[in-house]
Amino acid sequence: MAAAAVTTGAPIDPERARKARRKGWRDARMSYLLLLPYLLLLVMFGVVPVAYSFGLSFFDTIEMTFYGVSNYEFVFQDFRIPASAFNVLSFVMLWVTLTMIGVAALSLMLDSVRRRTATVLRTIYFLPGAVTSSAIVVLWLFVLDPTVSPFQPALHVLGWTTRADVISGVGLAGIFAIMAYFSQSGGWIVVFGGSLASLPGEVMEAARIDGANRLQLALRIKLPMIWRSLVLMGILSFAAGLQLFVEPQLMALAGPQFAQNDWSLNQMAFQYAFRMGDFGASAALSTLLVGSSILIALLIVFATKFYKID
Amino acid sequence: MATRNPPFRFNPGRFAVLATLGFAVCFYGIPLLWLFIAGTRSEASLLGESPYALGSWDAFARTWTNLTTYNNFQIGTWALNSAIYSVGGVLLSLVASIPGGYALALSEFPGRKLILIATLIAMITPSTAVVLPIFLEMNLIGLNNTYAGLILASGFFPFGVYLTYVYFSTSLPRGVMDSARVDGANRFQLFTRIGLPLARPIVALVAFFSFLGIWSNYFLAFVLLSDDKLYNLPVGLTALVSGSGALSNLPSNDVPIRKPEVVLAAILVVLPVLVIFIAAQRFVRSGMLSGAEKG
Repeated sequence: MAAAAVTTGAPIDPERARKARRKGWRDARMSYLLLLPYLLLLVMFGVVPVAYSFGLSFFDTIEMTFYGVSNYEFVFQDFRIPASAFNVLSFVMLWVTLTMIGVAALSLMLDSVRRRTATVLRTIYFLPGAVTSSAIVVLWLFVLDPTVSPFQPALHVLGWTTRADVISGVGLAGIFAIMAYFSQSGGWIVVFGGSLASLPGEVMEAARIDGANRLQLALRIKLPMIWRSLVLMGILSFAAGLQLFVEPQLMALAGPQFAQNDWSLNQMAFQYAFRMGDFGASAALSTLLVGSSILIALLIVFATKFYKID
Repeated sequence: MATRNPPFRFNPGRFAVLATLGFAVCFYGIPLLWLFIAGTRSEASLLGESPYALGSWDAFARTWTNLTTYNNFQIGTWALNSAIYSVGGVLLSLVASIPGGYALALSEFPGRKLILIATLIAMITPSTAVVLPIFLEMNLIGLNNTYAGLILASGFFPFGVYLTYVYFSTSLPRGVMDSARVDGANRFQLFTRIGLPLARPIVALVAFFSFLGIWSNYFLAFVLLSDDKLYNLPVGLTALVSGSGALSNLPSNDVPIRKPEVVLAAILVVLPVLVIFIAAQRFVRSGMLSGAEKG
């Protein structure tokens, strides 16, 4: 567009057109140069790993011979796979439901209280976002242990006196959903606080004059206006949840009787590579997992207008 | 505010809202508060006293000594590693994101759309989905168990490119570029003299998000690193717990790592991020809005 600004208005002159073309090529070359570091990383850690595991998934990696779809057959015949798929899906369902309801409800409620109160509360909700990966599991293993837990009175009321009671009482999928919600919902509440604050004031005013009370205002006016973003949050959480690994993997920190080494699909892919040394099977399962993520991403990019490209 | 609202009698709806918000304060706040207090309590206090008992300086000092002297100041090595991975990864992600996002926003060239779409797909795909494929690739080229391997892999940050792209395409006045063009600056000079100085806010934002991701990365570090000298803090924390059995409530062994030491190590993992959250609160908020609220 910068080049266009220079050339517009000039009469068509072949010499000039050739110059502009050469200039265009120089501009393109500079763009590629600026993009070079990123493109190298994109190829090395985006394209190649996915392509390589896709290729590897058709090989017997122990004998290094072509294997056809045998790795996929092996994965589908492993009796642990349906169980872990079920585990992951139940976790995702719980987590996405919890996130959509919790984030929407808290965001709308915060939008109805005094602004300064809302800012303080939002900060409190947001801080657990600092607790991530292994720290979140370590923290929650304490919180879920009635002997040390800050929620001890509540756990005792429910009749739970050991960590095993709590875990069997809530269920693993529920526990992982609570852990993930604890650390990730606050960031979304901040985001929705911003979008609610930027909703057009006239609409609110008009609704109020028409006699809408706060609840009607929240459910009939504000909720529909943030609904699209809520759905995007749901899809992104769904995609992230399918890849669950850290939380179940680290249950073993509470002791061998709590170990869950093949609870999620990603853990199974890890087990194939690290316990069985079968990189082909691991690549096959990883390919399926990455493939589902990419499908979801394509859906978001092409079937919705959530992200702007131009 | 109160003057504009009609006078309230007891309002059950209002009460429900405040009760829910208060319950949420407990849910989000108490575990975090507990963690920081528990770091100052002894094992006996944690097990025997009320969950809300306060600790003492002595207990904290003893815990600190136990944690830091364990295995020759191993926790220090891990913290240093975390710093190395974070600084290296953040710098690399900046070097890749800022010029890349700038070029995508301000120029037209063959393949631009393809790169944009690939960036979006890479950004939406959870990074955990490619951890095992990256391991398989690194295994092939022999970069497992190296600083360089983890730094390179964590420098790939498509979200940073997207943020920069959105920033430059919405906030850089086109007129400035055109007039600089007419003045005879070439493309590269345009980037260094106009693009970069204007990029300061986005550099901070990309650095912030990329730091968050790298500092707390567990899965990738766990899979790529098997040598405990190379662990980062999140992996080190789990090594500490599984090596000592401190969380298992089984009869204790003679490893000096018990519950307070584990709590303290967890605090070390959480604290840097927490400090940045609090220090850069307003900035983070505006950044998350521009970054996470797409479309």
